[in-house]
Amino acid sequence: MKSPAISTEKRVGSEHLLAIKDLKVWFPVKSGVLQRTIGYVKAVDGVDLNVRKGETLGLVGESGSGKTTLARAILRLTKPTEGEVYFDGTNVLKVDRQQMRKLRRRMQIIFQDPYASLDPRQTVSSILREAMEIHRVSSNKYEVNRRSLGLLRKVGLDEEHLYRFPHEFSGGQRQRIAVARALVASPDFLILDEPTSFLDVSVQASVLNLLKDLQKDLDLTYLFITHNLAVVHHMSDRVGVMYLGKIVELAEKNSIYRNPKHPYTFQLMAAIPLPEPEARRKEVLLEGDVPSPVEIPPGCRFHPRCKYATEKCKKEEPILAGRNGHLVACLYEIDFSTEEVAGEFVNV
Amino acid sequence: MIDRENEEKTILEIRNLKVNFHTYRGEVKALNGVDLRLYSREVLALVGESGCGKSVTAQTLIGLLPENAHIIEGEIILKGEDILKKTKEEMRILRAEELATVFQDPMTFLNPVLTIGTQLREVFTLQKGLFVEALAIARTKGNLDFTELLNKQNSVFQTEIKPSRRETRKVVNSLCVGILRLVKLPDPERILKQYPFELSGGMRQRAMIAMALARRPSIFVADEITTALDVTIQAQILRLLKELRDKIDASTLMITHDLSVAAEVGNRIAVMYGGNVVEVASARTLFAEPLHPYTQMLLRAIPNIANPVERLESIPGTVPDMINPPPGCRFHPRCKYAMEKCAEERPKLKEVERGHEVACYLH
Repeated sequence: MKSPAISTEKRVGSEHLLAIKDLKVWFPVKSGVLQRTIGYVKAVDGVDLNVRKGETLGLVGESGSGKTTLARAILRLTKPTEGEVYFDGTNVLKVDRQQMRKLRRRMQIIFQDPYASLDPRQTVSSILREAMEIHRVSSNKYEVNRRSLGLLRKVGLDEEHLYRFPHEFSGGQRQRIAVARALVASPDFLILDEPTSFLDVSVQASVLNLLKDLQKDLDLTYLFITHNLAVVHHMSDRVGVMYLGKIVELAEKNSIYRNPKHPYTFQLMAAIPLPEPEARRKEVLLEGDVPSPVEIPPGCRFHPRCKYATEKCKKEEPILAGRNGHLVACLYEIDFSTEEVAGEFVNV
Repeated sequence: MIDRENEEKTILEIRNLKVNFHTYRGEVKALNGVDLRLYSREVLALVGESGCGKSVTAQTLIGLLPENAHIIEGEIILKGEDILKKTKEEMRILRAEELATVFQDPMTFLNPVLTIGTQLREVFTLQKGLFVEALAIARTKGNLDFTELLNKQNSVFQTEIKPSRRETRKVVNSLCVGILRLVKLPDPERILKQYPFELSGGMRQRAMIAMALARRPSIFVADEITTALDVTIQAQILRLLKELRDKIDASTLMITHDLSVAAEVGNRIAVMYGGNVVEVASARTLFAEPLHPYTQMLLRAIPNIANPVERLESIPGTVPDMINPPPGCRFHPRCKYAMEKCAEERPKLKEVERGHEVACYLH
């Protein structure tokens, strides 16, 4: 139930905070004694994406679809092969190290595994202090302490947690510490890469709530990456679906869940297990597995698994286009209305 | 759907099972009196968060607890016998014939240097009864359909003539192909010649299920079998489990942390918390009228696409420390209905409605 008081608080602007143009990240596959390149893993293979100021853009896809590589390429943690990434008008891939460091203050990432992303030998206070030093936020001891405490309170922890080590915390608390660290330099943009997939459901809920609250309080823009379609539905304003390194559909949340236009999205939605044993829906299951990103099928990359595929699909690669902000990369307009999807199930 | 009479037939009963683990930090009281019944031909989903004891329950059942674990008390009755009293060798035979298990990561359980065919043939070579039945059918009918053999007939078929090596190979091969067809693996002949690394995660999991079913077990333990898979592959495996539910003569104990997965395939669902089963009900009842406060809160904590909310309800506090667990009901420090009594004595699982059991003083 959406209460109007809450939904108006969040300000989603029309201008783009992040614009990605034809981004490609190819990893060479080497073989033989001479280590010659025999092919490429096309992890990200031509992605166009805009993230609006203040929104949460959810990115879903199966493992190997390139979600994480895309996130890393945006922050230049992985060097892209081709393409452009504009953050607030600046081309992230062209700036020098000095400028990149400044940009990184404004764009931060939270990783999946809070057990691996925090240094086990540092206390929370020193983890936060280090981040402040790197981002040149402050070096005054008193100021650093004051800020650390403020950050911890913001993420639902307290002063007593400041001098503890990561192993003394539960998974949910660790993820909160990772969030606090990401907020050190007051960023505008956060990439959340599967932030709750390591957490138990009861803890997941509190972390998701925290992320929503922080977004409202601090006017943050999120790129939320996950394979969990229910979580992304809960968190996002718009959702993009990735398949084999490309975005195949991008639309406003309700539009994509209720009225998917790409056959892959449609089948993905139908595969979501619902916490409702009463829900009966038509089984439209995807057959087969994701092809290898080294040998991407020609034409539409989904055609070998698509039951609507024609000869044309094998030759022509569709582009991402559409009306009313609902973009889809499919050569045909398919009517799925005869089949039911998650979100519109019938109770029996 | 399972019919009423069958539903009442208990084939496995776990009574007051308590298991501790020795660690350098102290005794981990992993199971604190687990009570659970598995009815014939049903799928019982055992749900809970990490550390609640669902996997330890399964490990105790199949007799594969780690070295540092020890069973304090309790019994596990399978077909009238307490399997906790069995020797290691007896348990090994039991695992081969009655208790088939499939784990989360198939790659660690498949032998990487043997083909799927070699590994599957090995299973059939050990199943003498099945082989004799298959041989008899092959001789009388010519062709073999594995579904006919799925239910144990205890060798009604007798055969006098010893099969030639060639005939044995032919029968075993058709059994292999038949079981791979049953788990919907495409092109079984080719898969028999492949090595595990050549198969995708979903296919490996199907191969594991095939190897488990080949033993015609009476209990099929599925420990987080879809956790490592993608949603679309998960949906395929869940559909397979649903189809098998009606075909095989086994009861399934499905362990999962995902309530939605439990809702998809489980006939009944048992919720565990802090080493206890806190609520058991049919899948339908559990989602419609959860009675235990933990179950209620858990259901409100998961995002549901069919019924979206602006804010999820989170459960305050953290999972209990199993070395020094809270006294009484282990959920009481996080429970908003907690009473004095809750901190003193652990509530026992009791039936409040037909088929709906809950361990809470509120009911």
